[in-house]
Amino acid sequence: MADYKDNEIILNVQHLQKAYGKHQVLKDISFEVHKGKVMTVIGPSGGGKSTMLRCINLLEDPTGGEILFHDQNILDENYNIPRYRSKVGMVFQQFELFENKNVLQNCMIGQELVLKRSKEEAKKIALENLKTVGMDPYIDAKPRQLSGGQKQRVAIARAISMNPEILLFDEPTSALDPEMVGEVLETMKKLAKTGLTMIVVTHEMAFAKEVSDQVLFMSDGYVAEHGSPDEIFNHPQSEKTQKFLANFRGPQI
Amino acid sequence: MKKHSSWISALMAAVMTLVLAVSWSQPAQASGTLKIGMEANYAPYNWTQTTSANGAVKIDGTSSYANGYDVKIAKIIAKKLGKKVIVEKTQWDGLLPALTSGKIDLIIAGMSPTAERRKAINFTSPYRTTNFVVIVNKQSKYAKAKYLTNFKGAKLTAQQGTLHYDLIKQLPGAKREPASKDFAAMRESLEAGTIDGYVAEDTELTSFQMMDSNITGVNLSKMKGFKVSSSDAEVSIGVKKGNDQLLSQVNKVLAGISTSERNKLMKEAVQQQPQTSTKKENWLVSMLKNYGQMILEGIGMTLLISLVGTIAGFFIGLLVGIVRTIPEPKNKFKKGLLAFCKWLLSVYVEIFRGTPMMVQAAVIYYGIAQFWHINLNRTVAALIIVSINTGAYLAEVIRGGIISTPKGQFEAASALGMTHNQRMWSIILPQAIRNCLPSITNEFIVNIKDTSVLSIISVSELFFVGSTIASQSFQFFQTYLVISVIYLFLTFTITRIFNLIEKHIEGPENYNMMVNQVQVGKQEGDK
Repeated sequence: MADYKDNEIILNVQHLQKAYGKHQVLKDISFEVHKGKVMTVIGPSGGGKSTMLRCINLLEDPTGGEILFHDQNILDENYNIPRYRSKVGMVFQQFELFENKNVLQNCMIGQELVLKRSKEEAKKIALENLKTVGMDPYIDAKPRQLSGGQKQRVAIARAISMNPEILLFDEPTSALDPEMVGEVLETMKKLAKTGLTMIVVTHEMAFAKEVSDQVLFMSDGYVAEHGSPDEIFNHPQSEKTQKFLANFRGPQI
Repeated sequence: MKKHSSWISALMAAVMTLVLAVSWSQPAQASGTLKIGMEANYAPYNWTQTTSANGAVKIDGTSSYANGYDVKIAKIIAKKLGKKVIVEKTQWDGLLPALTSGKIDLIIAGMSPTAERRKAINFTSPYRTTNFVVIVNKQSKYAKAKYLTNFKGAKLTAQQGTLHYDLIKQLPGAKREPASKDFAAMRESLEAGTIDGYVAEDTELTSFQMMDSNITGVNLSKMKGFKVSSSDAEVSIGVKKGNDQLLSQVNKVLAGISTSERNKLMKEAVQQQPQTSTKKENWLVSMLKNYGQMILEGIGMTLLISLVGTIAGFFIGLLVGIVRTIPEPKNKFKKGLLAFCKWLLSVYVEIFRGTPMMVQAAVIYYGIAQFWHINLNRTVAALIIVSINTGAYLAEVIRGGIISTPKGQFEAASALGMTHNQRMWSIILPQAIRNCLPSITNEFIVNIKDTSVLSIISVSELFFVGSTIASQSFQFFQTYLVISVIYLFLTFTITRIFNLIEKHIEGPENYNMMVNQVQVGKQEGDK
């Protein structure tokens, strides 16, 4: 297997900081994301994983550091944020499908409004992606008529319909009933194989181990350890990583 | 982030009401007409009738007619001046402001030229001189009163805001009850025995006696010690101060009407005034027969004002709600401008939520006419007032709807790269409005009922029509019972309609896939 580092760097995060008042959530986060690769972010709850992810597409305003997208700092005052966000998709823990739209419309609205695609084109792309996630029989359903797993698959279809360069997953299976976790993870694995660049914050260690090209272990606002799945899961160096992973020993890994 | 178009909407919200107000205004005074203000509810001086019988004159803005001594005098004056009479039916308390604000040219409403009123308006020479009486039941011990002191202990009242009420003070020992709104109510009270009598003019006695032979009047004007300035015993025509030309014209016409002609006109008026039917007819049938048309028009007016008011108010509220939730821009100038707009809008909301609609109606209707000389049609004024008032309430309702839309919906829209406006229009507002629908229905229902306060500016909506019918037929309970049933019917129907709309928007609970249709249909049938 070729080293993931051979690929071009799309996103470069340098010394990212985020504080709410005096409470410093992210203290110093740096990493690089390579084109076509999957990075998973693991670590104990409250370690700043979600905050870091939300900083990347500016749902939270970072209080320090740089985020370079194709070598341009997205924190510059005149940077076109809506355009940037359209290239960085996001899948939320709570799905966040638009309640006033049906499944198909959920996948079309962004394409039409932001990418200015025609209705026909948007529909075609949306249908393709709904098929990929197995939700094409439900195109007329309203979000509240769907189960959690179905919602999350629609949310994934919505995100990839924008043809993003990077797709961010914020604990996509944490709000699901156990029996629905599988269907969503399968969908994500399928996506990973298509060569989509992904950053996944997750507690699914088996998934992280199987799918990732690089793993980031975050704790207390720092990157405690950073490496390939083999390095992190089989030969963890940091004491914190070892302690964290010990809790997951068992049938999962 | 781009926020240009929301800035435009900010300005629109602020300006819209002004534009509306100005564009619908009318010229203050048409030259070929003579606008007469009267209650059209003070027989035999003036009353409302449903036909043009006996030379009645149409009441402006309704399909009813006014007649009476005042109307007869007004027609003579108008004829001599070569103008057409227009009757503006106006509540008693609204007559002076209507005159000073130029909404009417003359007050001919059986009004006495008191010193207090003379401060505000001018009066012509009298067009009738009256005697004052205390109207009592024949069996009453006060019926035989010879001196002012004989009324000791009598419970007396008179019409609110009139000279009559002050006259009670001249009767030593008489108990002055709270003033009454109109004669109809006092007649009712006298018959019911809650008062011993009321002070009025001799014409009221004549007309009351035609209906109830059991009452009599004690003439106060001839009693020793009774003091009424000659001006108070007279009724005159009110003219706006400064309008000296009209004043002298009217005086000239009045000088040409002899006392005997005046007495003849008054006698006619007393005979022609509406009588309660003596036939044994079902009260509901007779009410519908006599006033059905008026009631229908009242319903129409109430629905028009509340529907238009709610819809216009919704759009005002939407704009205000949107502007008040615009996120803070980074540019300093824009930031300041937005803060100013938001402040202005919050002032608007506070003022119109914090004052009664009745007061707003009076201030806007009379105030605009008095200070800017813009003479608003009263229906238009009513529409504007209800719209602005509803807008203030719905602004907060919609702002609440926007704020309470889950944060995740904003974030998901942002994550797709939508701008603030795109987020608002396609994602947030449809959800916010849907969530606000019960409150909007509520506001509509409130409007249907609250338009009744517009009777202060004499808009002939359902309640105003009801009070006219009640005072003329003396069937207070029956009339208001019918009116309240109509209100209930209107509000109930509207609630049902809106519930259906809500259900339609909501859609079914379960998603029926094509393959499941038969099965699901059967399940629903089982319920």
